[in-house]
Formats: sequence, structure tokens, C-alpha cells
Amino acid sequence: MAIGFKSQCVPTYRVLTEDQIKEIHLATLEVLEKVGVRILDEEGIQLLKEAGCQVKNENVLQIPRGLVEESIHSAPSSIQIYNRKGNEVMQLGGDHVYFGLGTDLIYTYDLKTGSLRRSCLQDVVNAAKTGDCLEEIDFIASFALAQDVPTNLMYIECFKALLENSIKPIFFTAAGAEDLSVILQMAEVVAGDEARLREKPFLIHYSEPTSPLSHSKSAIRKLFLCADKGIPINYTPALLAGATGPVTLAGAITVANAEALSGVVLHQRRAKGAPIISGFVATTMDMLTSTAVYGGPEFRLTHSACTDLYHYYGLPVWGTAGASDAHCFDQQAAMEATFSILMGTLEGANLIHDVGYLGQGLIGSPATIVMGSEIISYVKRIRRGFDISQEQIAMEVIQKVGPGGNFLTTESTRRLHRQEHWRPKYMNRDNPDMWKEKGSKTYGERVTQKALEILETHRPEPLPDSVRQKLEELIKKAEKSLMGIKFVV
Amino acid sequence: MPLFEKLIESVIQGEEGSVRECVQQALSDHIPVKEILNDGLIKAINIVGEKFKKSEFYVPDVLWSAQAMKAGIELIQPFFQKSDVPPLAKVVIGTVEGDIHEIGKNLVAMMVEANGFEVINLGVDVPPERFVESVRAHQAKICMMSALLTTTMPTMKKIIEALKEAGLAGRVKTMVGGAPVTKQFALEIGADGYSPDAPGAAELAKEWIAG
Repeated sequence: MAIGFKSQCVPTYRVLTEDQIKEIHLATLEVLEKVGVRILDEEGIQLLKEAGCQVKNENVLQIPRGLVEESIHSAPSSIQIYNRKGNEVMQLGGDHVYFGLGTDLIYTYDLKTGSLRRSCLQDVVNAAKTGDCLEEIDFIASFALAQDVPTNLMYIECFKALLENSIKPIFFTAAGAEDLSVILQMAEVVAGDEARLREKPFLIHYSEPTSPLSHSKSAIRKLFLCADKGIPINYTPALLAGATGPVTLAGAITVANAEALSGVVLHQRRAKGAPIISGFVATTMDMLTSTAVYGGPEFRLTHSACTDLYHYYGLPVWGTAGASDAHCFDQQAAMEATFSILMGTLEGANLIHDVGYLGQGLIGSPATIVMGSEIISYVKRIRRGFDISQEQIAMEVIQKVGPGGNFLTTESTRRLHRQEHWRPKYMNRDNPDMWKEKGSKTYGERVTQKALEILETHRPEPLPDSVRQKLEELIKKAEKSLMGIKFVV
Repeated sequence: MPLFEKLIESVIQGEEGSVRECVQQALSDHIPVKEILNDGLIKAINIVGEKFKKSEFYVPDVLWSAQAMKAGIELIQPFFQKSDVPPLAKVVIGTVEGDIHEIGKNLVAMMVEANGFEVINLGVDVPPERFVESVRAHQAKICMMSALLTTTMPTMKKIIEALKEAGLAGRVKTMVGGAPVTKQFALEIGADGYSPDAPGAAELAKEWIAG
């Protein structure tokens, strides 16, 4: 055997060579330096001016390359995320891959009726329970938009529902800095106090710049609030190639990367070393229907490029997978979920959200989450690869059994089959008779049944009563202070 | 741990050596052979069967238990005549003529043996007349036949017919198996039963003998 032979094979994948990464990086720096970004917040403009940015006109600022590279360096390369109980559960960075839910879906593909309806707070509860129960789901999110709650309180009520129905880390959005600050107070109550929350964050706020090359006042205020409090923030644009970005993939990647990195600059200038997850989506606008494509091949190519870039920067990177353009839980949903989870995993994105998303980010489906969890499990087996050591080649066993013998009754089969062979939970491997005996069910029917079973039987660990009470008080206060006011946009 | 508990656990864990020790101990303690068989070995293999049905145990686990069980049975078998244990029911098994696939068939043989049967294994490429002769000579209660090739499946029908012609219908039950074999096919060729896997074949054989 060759000296230094590595016996473990681990499949990975990348799209960009190091030269290609540098080419895109240099183009990104040129965009930031020459074209600049639009900053719609006075505090943000001041901060960038002080950092040496030139005002190109009114609210467009040009960011010098040195400042961008300095900010990439000062941002942490790895972020430890805890669960509600303070246990370490996700180490965001490197090629660690974690999967979880997305946020804000206005429709729900109903488990019982198989039809579309408007989402409500109960759908958030359902998503939290589903995510809590499935071991492949590492973090939870609102999934649904609770349209039965007034807008100013919507995200606060969602956050409470998530806290009450899962101990897993929470990926969450807010309407503005106004309700975000209430949500952070709630999280402090759960953690104990502000310092303990900063020390062991169990939540990641998700906010975004607006393509092309703009940061709204609301986005910057949320970004600064998280920076000030040391709360991990995922600040990532979603660009539509051909509409809010160049039609070419390389152009779309460059612009989206400039948006994301200008976010890193703002964030790191506000609080050096504060935790930020970066990256971007650069997908296509469908030129016939004008919709935002979630399941297309370009989405995967640009996302793989994004992951390559952020691995190069040494920054934790966001991902999207397990999502589809299909409007119901069907074959298209399965196909698009599979491609995206496979590629997201092999490229090594860290915080992969949107498992269970349908209808181009408009429709939530708990059954699709269950299917996603099985695809994740499958793909993680692929990524684990296999070992080519002497023991694993099993020459002794091969010799002992010999031609015409059987390996099924050997000791090595008995000892190793569980770790070597992946087993599905819901996929069919029955023989035809057994399949018929079990009711000739499709994969979709089995997974839907599992999703219903989770909602009926899963009992998440409840919050302590004292914490619940304090949360109620905070929400009552928020009702008075936030109802009827207009949030900054 | 009490002796029978240890015996049962050893069968479940597939620890052949430990099963032998427990059975030897039971024999030297003058525990009736029937008790060792029914309250020890058979009870244990039934638990293994349950675990397999619930997907807690996989095929390799079941086979290890079967091997351990068989080791135990071998130790007590010489005493069957002296005690009130009826002789084990006999099963004739073979891969049909034209087919040399035998791993699956041997696994069935092993499982059936572990469940308290005496197995006459005819090997592979077995012509119908040998099945008939063997069933008659051993007064077998069950005749099991295996085929992996779709081209050799029709031979199973010939064997069932040959058993009928030999006047053995009603005295021997027929069971068929193999990857392409289905319940529907078993019905069509007039077989009494079918199992998709080795543990299922043993279960069905036990049901037939009990009922």
C-alpha cells in the first residue's frame, strides 16, 4: 500500500477552480468599488463613510476593496449554535452541512384534504413539531406565514410557537427591527439573560438586502440590532437572473456576491467579530411566467459557486435545498428536492434552509418535509463514503467463504451491515406481495401518513412554566406598543 | 441471571457457545428435555421472529440466532426418544432442476431447522422424482422448493403434480420460494404456501404443524 494512503473515500463536489473563484472575487470587488451599493439608512451611510467609503451620489456608496477584505477577515469562520436547552448542536462553518426549514409561506398544502389553503399560526406549530420529531432536520423555522395574526405581532407569535414546540435552533424572520427587538427579548428570557443568549445563541435571524445592490432601512436596522447583541444573522440576497440581476450566471453571481459582501462590511463595521452567515441565491426568473424559479438547474449551479466562494473566504455559508416549484406534493417536488439536497450536501453548504418548500416559496407542505428528511438521510450516506482499509476489503472473509459460499451468515455481515448499508424509513423495498398486503400505497401516501402521525403523536419538550409566563407578559406589552404602529421599511 | 433467561438471551444474541453451555448445564441439572426445548430454545426463537417482524432485527441477526438455536437442538436431540418429546417433523427442501442457486434455499433450511424441524436438504438441480422419493422415504410433512430463475419456476408445478401422482397429496404440504416467486404464482401452480423470506418460511411451517 502507498505511503500516506487515505482509506476513507468521501465524495465531494465543487464547480469553481481556485482561479475561477479569484476571477469572480475580483469582479465582485470591482462592482463594490466602482458601481457601489445603495444604502437607504442614514446610520448605515454614516458608518460606511467613516470606514472610508466614497459617496457616489446621494445614497450610493463605493466600498474600497481593502475594506471588503478586512471585513471578510474579521467575521468569524465558524459559529457555534446551541439548542433551546443550551446544548451544542450546529457548528456552522467549513464543510459541516445542516438542514432545516424555511419561513413565511403564505399557502399550505393541507395534509388531510390535499388542497391549498391560506397558512395560519397552527401551521407554524405543525412545522415546529414536524421538524422537532425528524432527526435529519437540524433547525426549525416558521415555515408558514401566520395570516390569522395581525402583521405587527405575526412574527412574535410565530417565534413563541416555535419555542413551545421544539428544542431545535430557530431560524426566523421579523417584519422590522421593532418586532425583532421583542423577539430577542423573548429569547433572552429563554436563555436566562442577554449575556447568556450571546454566549449560547439558539437562534439565527434571517434578513436580506434587496437586489440589485440595495440595503433597505429595515434590513440595515435588523442587521445592526443583531450585530450589537451578538445574535447570529443570516444576511443573504435572493437575486433573479435576467430581472434583478444580469441574465448570465456569472454576472448574477457577481452582483449577488457584491450584495452579500456589502452586508458583511456593514455588519463587521458595526461590530467586529460578530457572527454572520453569508452567501446568496442567484436563480432565474422564468421568462414565460415571470415567476422566481426554486427548482431549476441554474439555481444549483450558482449556489454551488456561492458555496465555493464562501469556503474560499472562510465564512459560514447559507444554502437552499429540498424545495420545489411544484404546487402540490408530487413527482416534481420529489425530483427537485432530491437534486437540490444532493448538490447542497456534496458542495458543503452549512445552513441549508427551505426543506419542504413548494410552489416557488409560496406553499408549505409538512409531508414534503418528511420526504426531505429521508432524502437528506440518503444523501448523507452517500457523503459518508466508504473505507478502503484492509479490514474493509475483507480479504480474510472472502477467502473463508470462497466460491459458492454465502456471506450472509458471516460474522462480518452481522457486525457491519447496520453501518455499511443505509436503510430507508418510508421508501419501498418490499416484494410485490408484501407491498399489496400493506395497501399498495405510493411513497407520497406513506409519507403523508407519517406526517399526520407526527402531528398526532409527537410531544415536544415543553418550556418551563415560569418562562412561558414571562413570554406571555412580554407579548402583552408588545400588543400595546406595536399594535397599529407603522414599522420602518 | 437465571439459567433459562441466559439461554433465551444467548439465542437472541446469536451466541452459539453460550447456548451450548446453558443447554449442557440444563441437562446436568436434569431439567426435562421438553422444557429446555419449549421454554428455552423455542421461546427464544419466537422472540427473534417477533423482533424481525417489527424490523428490530435484520436477516443476519435472525440467522445468527438460528445457528445458535441449532447448536442447542443438536445437544438435546439424542434424548428426544427417551423423553416425551415427539420426533421433529421432517422437511424436504431443494433447488429445482435446472437451477443451482442455493444460498436463499440454505438460509430457509437453516431457519426451519432452528424452529424445531428436521431438514433433509437435497441441494441444487434436484429433479422432480428425487423430491418425490425423499418425501416418501422420510415421511416428510413439508416439501419446500426454490427457484431463482424465471425459466426454472415452471418446474415447481411439475414437482407438485408428481407428488399428487405419487399419492402423497394431503400427506405433504408444499411451499415455494425464490426471488421471482409471488403468492399469485404459488396459487396458480397449486402450492399450499409461499414465503418471501427465510423467517417467514419457518413461521408458516410452524403454523402448518401446529394447526
